[in-house]
Amino acid sequence: MSVNQQDLDPDSTTDMEDITDAEEKLIKECEELWKDMEGCQKKLSLVGTETLTDSNAQLSLLIMQAKCLTAELSQWQKESPESKFQKLRVDLELVLSTVQSKNEKLKEDLEREQQWLDEQQQILESLNVLHNKLKQQVVTFSESRVFDELNTKMHDIKEYKEKLLITLGEFLEDHFPLPDGNVKKKKKNVKESTAQLITLHEILEILINRLFDVPHDPYIKIRDSFWPPYIELLLRNGIALRHPEDPTQIRLEAFHQ
Amino acid sequence: MSVLRPLDKQPGLNTATILLVGTEDALLQQLADAMLKEDCASELKIHLARSLPLPSDVNRPRIDLIMFVVNLHSKYSLQNVEESLRHVDATFFLGKVGFLAMGAGQESHCSIHRNTVTKLANTYRSPLFFCDLEREGFRATVAQRLVRMLQICAGHVPGVSALNLLSLLRSSENPAPEDL
Repeated sequence: MSVNQQDLDPDSTTDMEDITDAEEKLIKECEELWKDMEGCQKKLSLVGTETLTDSNAQLSLLIMQAKCLTAELSQWQKESPESKFQKLRVDLELVLSTVQSKNEKLKEDLEREQQWLDEQQQILESLNVLHNKLKQQVVTFSESRVFDELNTKMHDIKEYKEKLLITLGEFLEDHFPLPDGNVKKKKKNVKESTAQLITLHEILEILINRLFDVPHDPYIKIRDSFWPPYIELLLRNGIALRHPEDPTQIRLEAFHQ
Repeated sequence: MSVLRPLDKQPGLNTATILLVGTEDALLQQLADAMLKEDCASELKIHLARSLPLPSDVNRPRIDLIMFVVNLHSKYSLQNVEESLRHVDATFFLGKVGFLAMGAGQESHCSIHRNTVTKLANTYRSPLFFCDLEREGFRATVAQRLVRMLQICAGHVPGVSALNLLSLLRSSENPAPEDL
């Protein structure tokens, strides 16, 4: 580029000149580029527009992109030396290989984890199935067994109770019958009881029922229907007890407590 | 001028302009705000439009990048974008167009399938981003990406052209078997 300025004082203004020279150079370059651009702009505005539809878009765009890429490539090759490209290519290849290997490793990890997960899920499923089976068994098993046990117990106890009562009744009938009507007292002033006598079995029944019906007051009044010797028998053998304050009341001894 | 052309005007000094086309006005506004917050050496200009063609009486700068925003919850938004695509010149699709699909996170509300948008992006050989614009974090991330893309499309990044970027973005996607 030729310098337009006149050099008035070469020695002192050399640096300033260089700077202004460089500036002028740059400005000139910029202006030239701008002019080129305007020229290109004009050419571009002459090119017609073209819109795309879905059907022709892909093909025409691919062709266009290929053309433009080749144009850009040739432009690049003209402008920059090969070395810049190579360095860039080497760097990119390095990056590519690291990323690819990372990708591979991640895929392997993912597969492994997936397998692990599947196995765990299988284990979980089979454990769940087992658990459900066992739960059912336990529940049904224990319920029915307890129920059956209780039933049989109840039954056995009821039977035993019946047996005892029957045996008691038979025993009492055999050994402690009601007296005949012909036992008469010689002394006339003793009043004979005209009430119907009840059996010892019945007396005992009354005593037992009273003891379980009214536990806090198990006493009954001695009635005329009780044959006195039997009362004496019960009292003397500790089967019945008198009321501590009232001699006319007796109760059954609490053998079950 | 009913058809948008990429190089119809001289560029502004250190200016990069993006046009966001979509029916979701509020979210586009929020995205624009997020983009303006990004650090950028160039001056950013963001235009919002519901659909193309743009009114021709307005004096606007040269548009460097068009992003079509599709809401996967609304069929109308897809229709709108498809119609707007007819008003874009073919040369725009050399890296200066992108698609942004939002709402993919809520599958139950999606009336458009992901594949529909993917096919659309494949047909126009343009990159497709998925983003839930309602979440601030995701919005900021996509705003960052868009700002970088815009800088390249405006030519502010030396050594990388819009078409280069497009090749880089597209090479990671394998063409679907039905496209071949």
